[in-house]
Amino acid sequence: MATATSMPATPHDGRVLPAFGVIGWRWISRNPAAAIAPILQPFIFLYFLSLISPPGLFPLEILGAMLFTTQNIGSWVMGDSATWRIELAVQDMFIASPLGKVRYLFGVAFSNLIAAAPALIVLAVLLDVVLPHRVPWTAWLVLGGCLTVVWILFSSIGVAISSRLTSQREIWPVGNLTFTVVGMLSPLYYPLSYLPPTWQRIAHFLPTTYAALLVQGAFGITPATPTQMVEYVALLLGLAVVGTFVALRMYRWRAP
Amino acid sequence: MRTEPAHRLSLFRGTVAFSLTEFRVQAHEGIAIFTSMITQVVLLIFVTILARQYLSVALLGAILFSLFTLGQRVLNEAAYIRVDHKLNQLYLASPLTPGGYFLGISVGVLLTYLGPILVLVAIAVVLVPLTPILGLELAAVGIAVWLFASSMGYVISTTFRDMRAIWSNASLLFNLFGVLPPVFYPVRLFPLALRPIALLMPPSAASAILQNTLSPGTLSSSDLLLAVVGLAVETVVMFVFAVAWARRTAQER
Repeated sequence: MATATSMPATPHDGRVLPAFGVIGWRWISRNPAAAIAPILQPFIFLYFLSLISPPGLFPLEILGAMLFTTQNIGSWVMGDSATWRIELAVQDMFIASPLGKVRYLFGVAFSNLIAAAPALIVLAVLLDVVLPHRVPWTAWLVLGGCLTVVWILFSSIGVAISSRLTSQREIWPVGNLTFTVVGMLSPLYYPLSYLPPTWQRIAHFLPTTYAALLVQGAFGITPATPTQMVEYVALLLGLAVVGTFVALRMYRWRAP
Repeated sequence: MRTEPAHRLSLFRGTVAFSLTEFRVQAHEGIAIFTSMITQVVLLIFVTILARQYLSVALLGAILFSLFTLGQRVLNEAAYIRVDHKLNQLYLASPLTPGGYFLGISVGVLLTYLGPILVLVAIAVVLVPLTPILGLELAAVGIAVWLFASSMGYVISTTFRDMRAIWSNASLLFNLFGVLPPVFYPVRLFPLALRPIALLMPPSAASAILQNTLSPGTLSSSDLLLAVVGLAVETVVMFVFAVAWARRTAQER
């Protein structure tokens, strides 16, 4: 009979975000030290900066720390994805499941967003406290939008790079090189005008530069005209779409 | 005839051979060697852009921080050999002693990462008034910081059971010790009430000693004494503990 030999019913759909949300939550609840690391990292830099820089730059530095933390989610996505594939060898299970590579990407990115969320919330509260003036609610909306774009873009880059790694040893140096260098080239922790001219020109090719300029403009820290703001939005979205597309093209879902 | 003093050296038997092995292993990690300078370069960029007047202090701090973070490399490598490759039992079953194993990793890591550190020293020679006295002090406190950090890194590595959390946690630990206290910035900017704590932390103690030579009078004589004695005692205690810990954890297996 056909029913005796047929395959058992397998799910063809699922709830990716809740499932990876549980993975993210379990990871930080079982390893509190791992949750503390991403929370404290931006504060270490902020503390250092608060000692050596003019106090007026502190709100800008907090915004920079929020963008930098979100960008670093890409590094953690890279680490998780590479660990699951290389050390735990569970990539084949993901491939065999109803997940596609895009849903897998959003799942890993979401699970790591959970680990970064406490740091982002604390930084947002701190920003609200130190801002010298009230800002319109649209400024927070712009900040949320920029963080979302940076989160998707750098998670895509992280997962793309992870698929090319061959050893656990490469994760930390490659992540450090990619995400820290890109973060430092963009004017996250200092105004763009403080940088030497050549550096400023290089920074204009990086999407995080426009995210930084956009949030600095929205919060009234670095003045920007409405036309400039629209320009920043267009350049951020344009570079992010191109970057995400290239990253997904680079991403090797199945072993060749 | 071979005399018994060798029994003392036998505590570290195999150090030279294993350190050269580790050097060859580590030397293949080109990206890791290159990226070992990233945090230092980031902080030097911050200082150059936002507070150029502290560049001399920050450069000396970058050298000390580089030596300090070698402990993080020792931590990663020792954990990697044990957790991922499970090679440590093979090494320890050989004539290599636990002390030689620990010191071999530490020296191998130092030899590998010395290149980028010497680049920082060369920059410091140009930008900092690096007198012979300051140079000698830098070498002395640098060795102490390296030995302390390597010992600490090795001991901590034995507590990890999987590789996933090692990089972020180790990075955090070494950044806490190396960036928060006054290593890259003048000790006078650190809160006065907490200064004894900074002077008891090896990287900031070493930095404070150098800052005092760079700008005499930075520290009071009692603060200077605290920094010098604290650094020396902590280094010796941590090194002895790491050797004892290496022997104990090897016996447990």
